[in-house]
Amino acid sequence: MSSTSQPVLRVRVTAQDAETLRALLRDARPDVGGRPRRADDGSCSIEAYATAEQATALEREGVSVTTIENATATGRARQAEVGKGDRFAPADAVPHGLAVKA
Amino acid sequence: MTYLNITEVDSAVTSLATAYPATSELIDLPEPSVEGRAGHALRIGATPAGTHDCAVLIGGVHAREWGSCEILVHFAADLLEAYEAGTGLVYGGTSFTGDQVRKILDELELVVFPLVNPDGRLYSQTVDPMWRKNRDPAQSGGDPDRIGVDINRNYDFLFDFRTAFDPAAAPRVSDDPSDLVYQGPRPFSEPETRNVRWLLDAYPRTRWFIDVHSYSEDMLTVWGDDENQSLDSAQNFLNHVFDHRRGVPGDAYAEYLPKSDADDSKVLAEQFCTGVQGVRGRAYTPMSGFQLYPTCGTSDDYAYSRHRADEHKGKILGFTVEWGDQRGGFHPPWPQMERDVLDVDAGLVQFCVSTLV
Repeated sequence: MSSTSQPVLRVRVTAQDAETLRALLRDARPDVGGRPRRADDGSCSIEAYATAEQATALEREGVSVTTIENATATGRARQAEVGKGDRFAPADAVPHGLAVKA
Repeated sequence: MTYLNITEVDSAVTSLATAYPATSELIDLPEPSVEGRAGHALRIGATPAGTHDCAVLIGGVHAREWGSCEILVHFAADLLEAYEAGTGLVYGGTSFTGDQVRKILDELELVVFPLVNPDGRLYSQTVDPMWRKNRDPAQSGGDPDRIGVDINRNYDFLFDFRTAFDPAAAPRVSDDPSDLVYQGPRPFSEPETRNVRWLLDAYPRTRWFIDVHSYSEDMLTVWGDDENQSLDSAQNFLNHVFDHRRGVPGDAYAEYLPKSDADDSKVLAEQFCTGVQGVRGRAYTPMSGFQLYPTCGTSDDYAYSRHRADEHKGKILGFTVEWGDQRGGFHPPWPQMERDVLDVDAGLVQFCVSTLV
């Protein structure tokens, strides 16, 4: 599956069983996040990142695709949480880890 | 606090080296990135380089997995500050004594390279947040959708995947430049990948290698190309008799891993997970990379394979952290990322403590 400049959706791909999901991953080669999770009913799901068109193409017999979020939009919003400038430029500015030192 | 931009990651490493000259040293990586950015790593240890066995930790390989850099910067800062102050470290419910911190810096060498792929991170943090690869245009033919190489498919381990794998295996790698997991035209074609190889060569006492990625709350051990087995040494990545047979679960082929290495890897992965879980209860899973999906050209397999491909190289147990869960995806809100940093840093300190037992 190609990279693209179109918005990327985070979707949950749920297959009726592990073999169906394996076949989908093998044939469609979606961009995936995390690893497959198996439910009590035997179904298997994995998160994938795809354009709307690509997400539709993942749907087939025994497979459902549910949109979780617009990952591109979330990522763009998160870009506002990236530092500006250089917090460690001052000579006395040193990173401190998040652990309590005790 | 917010995510670090690429200037800040590098500045953080430099600042730590300046602030703790007795226990750290700035390492200039030999090659600039594709876009010309210099990289730096940090050697941590209270004894001269080469005195003790070494653990190399890298992050920021996949551009969109932002928090990997923060995890390693904070990990280094925690150890250096606690050692100088003579304190322990407390990560929620996981804590380490001052003696344990002292032992890590006195008896182990750490090399921390938090930002392997600065060009990709910059692009992800300013343009396309979902960008994964580096920014190498060499194979793009001018098409922006064909820019970049997946650095974590560019190492020399079963690089010729069409020969190495069973056609039914579908390893997560590609020779198509438009693909997110494009391997590049040849092993180590990318300067970012060569910098990591240089570290392993420059620190020949490296015994452990950890590559920090996201996400799935796993601690992966070798191998990534197939299931592990410890009974038949002939079934190995160097043996061409098994070409076109790798990568299918449950079949006759499985990649050889000596039992002692399998056991050591398992113990260290479990210790990492124990450290993580103690913080606030997140249950990371220790497992081999193949259980995530079949791959080749990855850093952890390359690190371990080196001593099998070249008997003059030391043995390195390779690991990949997949931090974070499905709630956060690749870009957790910063408050959630802070909790992930605490989790993983506790696991990494526990890992280091466990190497010294």
